[in-house]
Amino acid sequence: MLKRYSIQLILVACGGLLTYVAYEELVSLYLLSVLMFMGVNVILSTSLNLVNGNMGEFSCGHAGFMCVGAYVSSVLGVWLFAKDKVFGPPVLPPELALYAFPLVILAGGVAAALAGLLVAIPSYKTRGDYLAIITIAANYIIISAIENLGVIGGSRGFMGMKSVISSMEDVAYLPWMPIWVFSFTIFCVWLIRRYVSSTFGKGVNAISQDEVAAEIMSVNTNKIKTITFMVSSGLAGIAGGLFAYILGYVNPGSFNILKSTEVLVMVYLGGMASLSGAVLSAIAFTILLELLRPLQIIKWVVIPLLLIIVMQFRPEGIMGSRELSDIFPWLKRFYRFK
Amino acid sequence: MLLSVENLEVKYGNIQALHGISFHVNEGEIVTLIGANGAGKTTSLYSICRLTPPEAPRVIAGDIKFRGESILKTRPSDVVKQLNMALVPEGRRIFGNLTVMENLELATYSRERHADLKDEYQRVFDLFPRLHERRKQRSESLSGGEQQMLAVGRALMTGCNFLLLDEPSMGLAPRLKYELFRTLKKLNESGMTILLVEQNASLALNLAHRGYVLDTGELAAQGTSAELLGNPDVKKAYLGG
Repeated sequence: MLKRYSIQLILVACGGLLTYVAYEELVSLYLLSVLMFMGVNVILSTSLNLVNGNMGEFSCGHAGFMCVGAYVSSVLGVWLFAKDKVFGPPVLPPELALYAFPLVILAGGVAAALAGLLVAIPSYKTRGDYLAIITIAANYIIISAIENLGVIGGSRGFMGMKSVISSMEDVAYLPWMPIWVFSFTIFCVWLIRRYVSSTFGKGVNAISQDEVAAEIMSVNTNKIKTITFMVSSGLAGIAGGLFAYILGYVNPGSFNILKSTEVLVMVYLGGMASLSGAVLSAIAFTILLELLRPLQIIKWVVIPLLLIIVMQFRPEGIMGSRELSDIFPWLKRFYRFK
Repeated sequence: MLLSVENLEVKYGNIQALHGISFHVNEGEIVTLIGANGAGKTTSLYSICRLTPPEAPRVIAGDIKFRGESILKTRPSDVVKQLNMALVPEGRRIFGNLTVMENLELATYSRERHADLKDEYQRVFDLFPRLHERRKQRSESLSGGEQQMLAVGRALMTGCNFLLLDEPSMGLAPRLKYELFRTLKKLNESGMTILLVEQNASLALNLAHRGYVLDTGELAAQGTSAELLGNPDVKKAYLGG
């Protein structure tokens, strides 16, 4: 009994501890924000791993979808619940923000999933390097479109999300951001695990192995590609929404190709098609980025160098295609990773 | 008539691969398409299975009919699901990172969940006992012959009653080749319709009821196996004298 629910118990305990620590302000705000970015990075790397690892396509425009999610949930939240120069007084009473916040984030995810069609539809007839180029183009299209939308600040960015958060805190004083980042991270990882281990998800692996063989095994490849790209970009949109509310400010520049590359590094560091690998490498990468912060701009020399070293000596990434339970079999007693 | 191909013309990009070929397969028959490399044998099978470009060709003229109805608008997944045709592709194309059992399970992808498939797995293992021995092994570690058995077994697990095979004898030792062809005969006797594409013309014609000879995208000859085996042109070009 205890064993069966151990993973759930551990997660609830972690969430509770995080809330307590944040509520009592036992850790610095800096550390708390690093923890939250860790959650965002976990969502980004696991969702990109779904496309690049499990489905075997090469998407390198993940930050574009993150951008869609960030802007849609920010604009929606500010329009509904905050006073803004452009949008005027809040449409709904700000007290409702407390309840509507997860819906606002999910709306960003849905918008990003729709933007994912930008890549999903060309993927029916394009694959490999050519599809990779399309994903880069999609990233640029999204960024440029937002840069030219003066209403939401254009390239100067968009802000006002802090007041949404504070109206949530006015109703009930709890560290809402850490709570929601934690919940959404768990939700995303759970969703991806369910997705890849389902019968439908076996088709995703079949596509990565051999698309023709998948087709003759009655796998509807177009449908699977569409859904997989949409799930992946939708989750990136959720990550983007959370990212925007953590910072309280978004600008299109922070979702450029460099951000996409950062996510790619996390995926390749963790190992292709390994969900636990993607989670671990996102955590490790976030810590690494913070540790290297004193190096400032030289950080971007050290990190690519690390990538070269990883590719040279361990091209399959930290975990390869294995899950944690393949390396530590005793973990299987608590949780089936696959 | 189960399947009929009528004046089919297809293109890969700008290159025309079939210049209007016609053939048909009746229920319960074994029909073979023979011909040299580049004759259009694989292309024909890919067109029938409605595989999508870039690997598969684009139909520019003619028609493919299944029980009298055009299937040009059918999706590849529905060819398997609704028409119960299954392709054993050239070069096996099994899923190397999956075990033998997982490969067979994947073939039941579109079938009803929780359907009782025990007997069907048993049938595959009766036909190919080696697969049962290796069922937990990753399929990339199988020998070439075993992989070919897996490719056939996998096609059977889709629940097909029309099997299309593309060069099943390629890369097999002679003894395995005969064994495989005996298995095909057994399958046919139990009611399976078979369309066989082969380079080994004598082996194919000895198994099949009827045959078609393709030459650079055109039909060169057709007839019953006995007729083709006796045809001097076919003899000279494909049977070695």
